[in-house]
Amino acid sequence: MFLEAIHIILPVFIILAAIIAILLKDLLASVIALAAMSLLLSLEFFILHAPDVAIAEAAVGACLTTAIFILAIKATKRNEEEV
Amino acid sequence: MNKRDLLAYSFLTVFAVFTIFSMLSMHSFGVPDENAMDQYIIDNTVEETGASNGVTAVVFDYRGFDTLGEATVLFTAVAGVILVFRRLKK
Amino acid sequence: MKGMSLIVRTIANISFPFILIYGFYIIAHGHLTPGGGFQGGAVVASGLVLMLIAYNAEWISQRIKESHLSIFESLGALSFVLLAFLGIIFGTAFFSNFLVGTESLFGGIPLDGAANINTGGIIPLMNFAVGLKVIAGLFAIVYVMAHFISKKEGKIA
Repeated sequence: MFLEAIHIILPVFIILAAIIAILLKDLLASVIALAAMSLLLSLEFFILHAPDVAIAEAAVGACLTTAIFILAIKATKRNEEEV
Repeated sequence: MNKRDLLAYSFLTVFAVFTIFSMLSMHSFGVPDENAMDQYIIDNTVEETGASNGVTAVVFDYRGFDTLGEATVLFTAVAGVILVFRRLKK
Repeated sequence: MKGMSLIVRTIANISFPFILIYGFYIIAHGHLTPGGGFQGGAVVASGLVLMLIAYNAEWISQRIKESHLSIFESLGALSFVLLAFLGIIFGTAFFSNFLVGTESLFGGIPLDGAANINTGGIIPLMNFAVGLKVIAGLFAIVYVMAHFISKKEGKIA
């Protein structure tokens, strides 16, 4: 029962974090929301009995891509421009 | 509604129909499809390769060519990134 | 690129050895526990990127040169392909596991279905090769980008 509830609640939070990452205008906050989505996704992989994929997702998705995005924001502008 | 919108909506409808029918024919949650290869790997991994982690045994022993391709992809990606960023260094 | 505050540097100094130990554990026990060369290499590269973010790009470039990274990556790829070709000479085919059951290094025979650290044949050696390749490759991407940004900032200022 508890596991079924987790299986429903975690994807809802993943989708919520992804929508927040799209909607935010501050790109640094958007990158942090993307990292949170990646961490929740790795938790979901762990619950689905795939610890290999969970380790790779946590290391690559939550750490390395966040570092690359933050370096890219540092080289350009922080805020999204209104078109 | 002009001609372009009509084309887009018709393609979207075809795509949605195919997606819904393929989702209806998926197997139920938590019960993977079984075939003979799965059971062979589960039974013989420890005797044949000496590794108790079945995933690594498949990746590095039974399906080694796949890992060779993955290593080639990573090498090419890193070489491309270094090529792009080193040119503007000076 | 200036690096971060003293608090961040202290926390990074404390947690860096533990991240490295965890990553090398995942690589070395790849044939026993979940994980393998790619996962462990990604964890070690994350630890190195933590030091790169906490300090600055020049501090890292005094310790690790970019040529060392490309040498390590090429070494990992070469030893991976070389192990695959040794399967033709000593075993039966490309990628065949010629070391298993030979009582040599990594060639122990698993007793009653329980593998240990000395079994696995060429799987642990391939894990080390892929781990070296992934550490050098993933860190080289962030390293080169950070150097590009620090050169660009120096040109503006």
